Amino acid sequence: VSLITIIWSVCAGICLALAGVNVLVWLRARDQWANLFFSLGAAGAAATAVIELALMHAQTAAESGLWLRWLVTSVTVIVIALIWFVRAYLGAGNLWLAWLTCGLRALVSVINFLPGRPNIVFREMNPPRQIMAWGESVSVPDGIGTSWTLLVTGSSVVFLVYLAGAVIAAWRQGNRRRAAWLGGAISLGFLLGMTQTRLVAAGALPIPFTFSMLFLPIVLFVGIELSSDLVRTFVLSRDLRESQERMQLATSAADLGVWDWDIAQSKIWATDTIRRRLGVGPAEPVDFDRFLQSVHPDDRELVERAVHGAIDGDREFQAEYRVITPDGATRWIAARGRVARSPSGKPLHLRGISMDISERKRAEAEAGELRRELAQVQRASTLGLLASSLAHEINQPLGAILRNAEAAELFLQRDPPDLEELRAIIVDIRQDNQRAGAVIDRLRSLLRRRELNLEAVSLEELLDQVVLLIRPELQARQARLDVRLPPSLAPVMGDRVHLQQVLLNLLVNGLGATSGLPSKRRRLVLTARCVDDRTVEVAVGDSGCGIPEEQLARVFEPFFTSSTSGLGVGLAICRTIIESHGGRIWAENNANGGATLRFTLKIAEHGGAP
Amino acid sequence: VSTNLPTVFLVDDDQAFLASAARLLRASSLLVSSFRSAAEFLAQRPPEAPGCVIADLRMPGMTGLELQEALAKSDNPLPIVFLSGHGDIPTSVKAMRQGAEDFLTKRAPKEELFAAVQRALERDARNREKRKRQRELHARFDQLTPREREVLTHVLTGQLNKQIAADLGIAERSVKRHRTSLMAKLQVQSVAQLAPLAVEAGFTGQ
Repeated sequence: VSLITIIWSVCAGICLALAGVNVLVWLRARDQWANLFFSLGAAGAAATAVIELALMHAQTAAESGLWLRWLVTSVTVIVIALIWFVRAYLGAGNLWLAWLTCGLRALVSVINFLPGRPNIVFREMNPPRQIMAWGESVSVPDGIGTSWTLLVTGSSVVFLVYLAGAVIAAWRQGNRRRAAWLGGAISLGFLLGMTQTRLVAAGALPIPFTFSMLFLPIVLFVGIELSSDLVRTFVLSRDLRESQERMQLATSAADLGVWDWDIAQSKIWATDTIRRRLGVGPAEPVDFDRFLQSVHPDDRELVERAVHGAIDGDREFQAEYRVITPDGATRWIAARGRVARSPSGKPLHLRGISMDISERKRAEAEAGELRRELAQVQRASTLGLLASSLAHEINQPLGAILRNAEAAELFLQRDPPDLEELRAIIVDIRQDNQRAGAVIDRLRSLLRRRELNLEAVSLEELLDQVVLLIRPELQARQARLDVRLPPSLAPVMGDRVHLQQVLLNLLVNGLGATSGLPSKRRRLVLTARCVDDRTVEVAVGDSGCGIPEEQLARVFEPFFTSSTSGLGVGLAICRTIIESHGGRIWAENNANGGATLRFTLKIAEHGGAP
Repeated sequence: VSTNLPTVFLVDDDQAFLASAARLLRASSLLVSSFRSAAEFLAQRPPEAPGCVIADLRMPGMTGLELQEALAKSDNPLPIVFLSGHGDIPTSVKAMRQGAEDFLTKRAPKEELFAAVQRALERDARNREKRKRQRELHARFDQLTPREREVLTHVLTGQLNKQIAADLGIAERSVKRHRTSLMAKLQVQSVAQLAPLAVEAGFTGQ
């Protein structure tokens, strides 16, 4: 076997192998058009090598003409493949020039296959000349040349212009290495190819066509480039796997689940932590409905609302809900996520994490229990402070009842008894009995230990009740309370008793602040106003001497107290209660003396539910 | 309301208690007049009326203790019985120290209430009597001329007419004449009666 046969066959083999690899890559990733066009070009190069080999062994003029015709065709395939490869690979290139080159090449093909002539290069073929090349005798086509070869050269020139444009654009985009190598290799191959074509066609250079050899560097360069892409992909995939393992380790250590909901395909990818929680196998598909099944029935609506809020409303997805695990246990989960959108704004993915917060919830519940106990103790102690005035409040009707009963006895002793008077007495006794009962009821509801029970509460009513409770104490302490409310106030979300406690604490606190003043100057002001359409602010102001600036932030700390009486937990409990209502509480000094303690509450939405 | 018969003036901001207490006192044949506040009572009471006051200690506006102070300064300082829904010690001590007749809880039995009212009315009668006598004595002493007052002052220290005449730089006869005149004006027969009368009237010479 001759050396030429070996070299050209090896060349064809390499090109074919690269074509095969790249077509496989394209089949796996259909958007990788560069691989497809390269594959086409490499196949063309392989064909070119085979045809050149045949041409070198052609014995007759007809054979020579026929193979030359196919050679032009295979080179056309290479050129067209390169045009589109350049566009796909460099991401640049003038589309008009690309189509112009294709058009010119198509014209070359048409002329090449016109009957009555062997091919586009020769008008008439002579029997091939035999020359010595690389130590052996090979055939070189010979015949009468045509000027159509100018068309071939022209198409190549247009291609080179196109290539130069694409390379410059890619260079500017920062893709310099690729642009330089690809541009250099292709233009060098083309210039040599064009020169050879012209020289051989003119009979000036009696050597066989070696297009495949000229294209080989291009093919090899691009092959190496694409292969190194494959290597990069491999490295990336290994890194990805490692980082995935690290993430898996981190997430499982933190008991963190990671999920990704492909909204269009309605598929949820989730880490093992989540899958275990849902009770699905590693390969089992999960969709939103399957996920929702595991959520506690009471929380499903909440989760759905949060999801729709994120998808439709472009909010961050955030929810705390319970799931029922396969073994029937209830776990608290906190999930957060974000929607990934297409450029047109269509939601594509909802990705996020979820975390088991059952422990935290339990701790919160325990803290809540403690807080309730402390709140109850504090409530009792607040009422203790009010005890003397509340006893007065109860003793009033009881005293009236006694006086009436005694009067009734006297009226009964008369002859005849004054029945009219007795009837009036009984009516009064009944009324006073109810009055005393109402005071006791108010006290009892304040003393009962209870959970935070949020409902829509009318602020006017709430303030009325508090004023009823504090009024005897105000009288006892000779202080004045002004209640200033806007004409209408939206109901707030709150727990009636806890909010009463907050107001009582603030009022008792204000009374304490004014106790050192002469009675004319002991004044409290209770105000409420809407801050915005979601918030109401309630304020209790006093005419005392205010709070030292450096202590303003500290008055709500537990056991912070300026007086010798009391535990100093009253305001701390106010803060706990207000914060558990989702509000804020703070203290300010008034411009004209005294301090004002303010807190905010959320306005109840229509329908009352939070 | 007759100004001659003793009246119980009830002052309490609690309408129900006011009405029931008034009813009870009336049923036991007392004259009762009710007021919703201390200020109302002070403004509307008949100026000279005898009787006593029953007042709640805790009231909005003027408190029971303030009412007591205001009453004590007035020309008709009626005795006051305090009522409280709740006996708080510091207030009751202060009330008693200021001369409150009694201090009752609102739920004290009627016997205690009646007894307290009775005591207060008796004390008012006594006080009234005392005040009447005082006024009368003052009227007698007011008749004295300045010279007679000077002579009286010296007589009360036990000086003889001669010494008095020397001290005042007047004749002994004149001293005698002044003594006879002042004893007639003060309606006494002897110097022995003069001394207690001067003490009772609080006469100091000035």
